Amino acid sequence: MAAVTLTNVVKRFGGFGVVHGANIDIAEGEFVVFVGPSGCGKSTLLRMIAGLEDISAGEIAIGGKVVNDVEAAERGIAMVFQSYALYPHMTVEQNLSFGLRMNGNPKPDTERRVRRAAEILRIDELMHRRPKQLSGGQRQRVAIGRAIVREPQVFLFDEPLSNLDAELRVQMRVEISRLHKELGVTMIYVTHDQTEAMTLADRIVVLKAGNVEQIGAPLDLYDDPANRFVAGFIGSPKMNFMPARVVETGPGAATVELVNHAGARLSKPLQSTPPAVGAEVVLGVRPEHFFDAGKGDCDIAVKADVAEHLGSVSYVYAGAGDDELIIEREASRQRASGDHLTVAIKADKALLFDTKGARIR
Amino acid sequence: MRHQNATAYRFLTPYLLIFSIFWVWPIISSFLISFQATRTVPWRFAPTFNWGRLIGDPAFYNALKNTLLILVIQVPVMISLAIVMAVLLNSPLLKVRGLYRFAFFAPVVVGEVAYSAVFRLMFNLNFGIINKLLNSVGLPSVDWFSNVTPAMALIMIAVTWRWAGYNAIILLAGLQSIPDDVYEAATLDRVSKVKQFFYITLPLLKPIIVFCAVLSIIGTMQLFTEPFLITERGGPGGGTETLGLLLYRQGFRSLNFGYASAVAYTMAGLAIAITLVQLWLTRDPK
Ligand SMILES: Nc1ncnc2c1ncn2[C@@H]1O[C@H](COP(=O)(O)OP(=O)(O)OP(=O)(O)O)[C@@H](O)[C@H]1O
Ligand SMILES: [Mg+2]
Repeated sequence: MAAVTLTNVVKRFGGFGVVHGANIDIAEGEFVVFVGPSGCGKSTLLRMIAGLEDISAGEIAIGGKVVNDVEAAERGIAMVFQSYALYPHMTVEQNLSFGLRMNGNPKPDTERRVRRAAEILRIDELMHRRPKQLSGGQRQRVAIGRAIVREPQVFLFDEPLSNLDAELRVQMRVEISRLHKELGVTMIYVTHDQTEAMTLADRIVVLKAGNVEQIGAPLDLYDDPANRFVAGFIGSPKMNFMPARVVETGPGAATVELVNHAGARLSKPLQSTPPAVGAEVVLGVRPEHFFDAGKGDCDIAVKADVAEHLGSVSYVYAGAGDDELIIEREASRQRASGDHLTVAIKADKALLFDTKGARIR
Repeated sequence: MRHQNATAYRFLTPYLLIFSIFWVWPIISSFLISFQATRTVPWRFAPTFNWGRLIGDPAFYNALKNTLLILVIQVPVMISLAIVMAVLLNSPLLKVRGLYRFAFFAPVVVGEVAYSAVFRLMFNLNFGIINKLLNSVGLPSVDWFSNVTPAMALIMIAVTWRWAGYNAIILLAGLQSIPDDVYEAATLDRVSKVKQFFYITLPLLKPIIVFCAVLSIIGTMQLFTEPFLITERGGPGGGTETLGLLLYRQGFRSLNFGYASAVAYTMAGLAIAITLVQLWLTRDPK
C-alpha cells in the first residue's frame, strides 16, 4: 500500500505535448479512476506512473519516494493491460507464477500466492489452460491474478473491461470493487466509461486533452461540476445545455431567459458577481431534473421527436440543433413522438456556465 | 459450379502443362532412371546397379560426410547468428533500420558467381584481406584452399554470410508479431531483459526458428554453388565435395544419369527424414 503523488507531470512525444502538468494526490488505499474521452492521455499518465513511459517534466512519488529515475520493475506496482498481455505460451498457472519464479521467490511462497489469487478470482479450474483456451472474462481474471500475486503497492488498470460484453462488464466491475475492499491496496483505474468511473471510484480524475479538469468524489462531480465539460461527461444520458441570456441581475442572483423558449425565466442565486445583463450564458439541466409542469421554477414546452422506453424510465428526445433536449420521465410509457410536453426546471437543479464553458457559481 | 471449375482449369492449363513437363515428369523419370544401368546403350533395367554401387561407394560416403558436417555446424551457427541479428534489427535504439535491413538481405540477391569470385579474392593466401587481417593481429596466414579443414570452414563462412541475413529478416517478422505489452508485463513482473529473451522471445519465436531451420537444412542438403565455385569443384581433393557436387559430377560430367538419380533421391530422402525428425523434436507438447 502506498500513496501516489503526481506533481506538475508533463509528457511530450517529440515536441507534441500530451499531458500538460497534472497534479494528482492519491491517498493510500484509495480507488481513483482516470476518466476522459479517447486520446486525452489517460493511458499515458498510467504508463508514466508504471515507469513504462518517461516523464518529460514534473515528479511522480510512490509511497513518499520520488520515482522519476526508478526502473519500472522496482516501483512495486502491478498493471493490468487493456489487451491483458498474458504470456501466450504459458499455462494460467505459469502466467501467474512467472514473475516470482524468475526472481527466485521461494517455491512454497509462490505456490501459496498463486493459490490464493486463483481462489480470489475463481480460476482454480483453469490453471492448466493456455490463454488461447480462455474466454475474454477468464483472461481478464488471469491478468488481474498476475497482478495480485505480485502483492504490489499499487494496482494500475488500463481499461480492463473494455473488451468484455455488457453483462460481463457489470459482473467484473463488482469483482474489482470487491477485490479493492479485500486487498485494501491503492488502485488507479483508467476508463472512458463514466458508469465504471461512478460505480468504482472513491475519487474521479476527469481529463480532457491532457489537462486535469476536476478531481472529486463521484457524487461531488455529479452535483457540482467545475465546468461544462465535466458536467457533460459525468452522468448518463448527458446533461442538457440550453442557450440563455442574462436579463436581470440583483445582489447575489441573476435572472436568465432561455433563448429558445421565450418567456422561460429562471432566477439563479449566485455567490460570485453575476454576469452583466445581456450576457450570453448556458443553462445545464440533467435529463433526470425535469419536473412535471408547474412543479418547478419555470415551465418549458417541447415537442417530442422520439421516445425510448426502457421500462423503469423513458427518455424523450425533443427539439433539434442547439435546442435538443433529453428528458427523463418516469411513468410515461404512453408518450409517443409528436406529443407536446411541458416540463418544469428548478433553479437549484440547474447549473449556469459562461460561453467558454466555465461554471458560474 | 462445374462449369466455373472447367473455366478455372482452362486458365490453369498452361501452368499445369509446364509444371507437369518440367517438374512432375523429371521427378518420376529420375526415379525410374535410378533403377537403370545408364552406361550402356540402350539403357537396361538393373535395380541394384546404381543403388548397390551407392552403398559401397567411398566417394558417396565422403560427400555425405561433408554435407552432414556442414549441416550440423553451419545451420545452428547461422540460425543463432540470424536470431541475434533479428533482435538487433528489432531494437528501438537502432537508427536507419531500413538500411540495415537492406544490407542484411543484400547477399541473397548478389550473383553467385560474383560473390564466389569476391570470396576467393578475400581468402587468397598471399593478398587476401582475411589473411592480412589475421597477420595484423599476429596470427599466421591460412591457406584456405589447399587444406581440407580451412576449406570446409570457408564453405561454412560463405554459406552463412549469404543466408544469415535472409533468415534474420524472416525472424524479424516473427519478432515484430510479439506484442510489446507482453514485454512490458514481463518488465513489471521484474523479469530482466536477458530472461525475457530466453523465456518469452525464444519460445514465441520457436515456430519461425523451426521454419528457418527446415529451409536451411533443405538448402544445405543441396549445397552446390560454394563448393563448386569457391573451393573449385569440391577441392582440395574432394575434401569439400558435397552430395550436390557428386550428383553433378556423375550426371553431367560422366553422363551417368542412373547413378546421379540415385544420389538425387538419397539427398531428397535425407532432407525429408532430417526435417521430420526435427519437427518431431520441436513439436509442441500437447
Ligand atoms: N508513443 C507515442 N508517440 C506519440 N504520440 C503518442 C504516443 N502514445 C500516445 N500518443 C498520443 O498521446 C495522446 C494520448 O494518448 P493516450 O494513449 O494516453 O490516450 P488515452 O486517453 O489512453 O485514450 P484511449 O481512451 O483511446 O485509450 C494521444 O493523442 C496519442 O496520439
Ligand atoms: Mg488508453
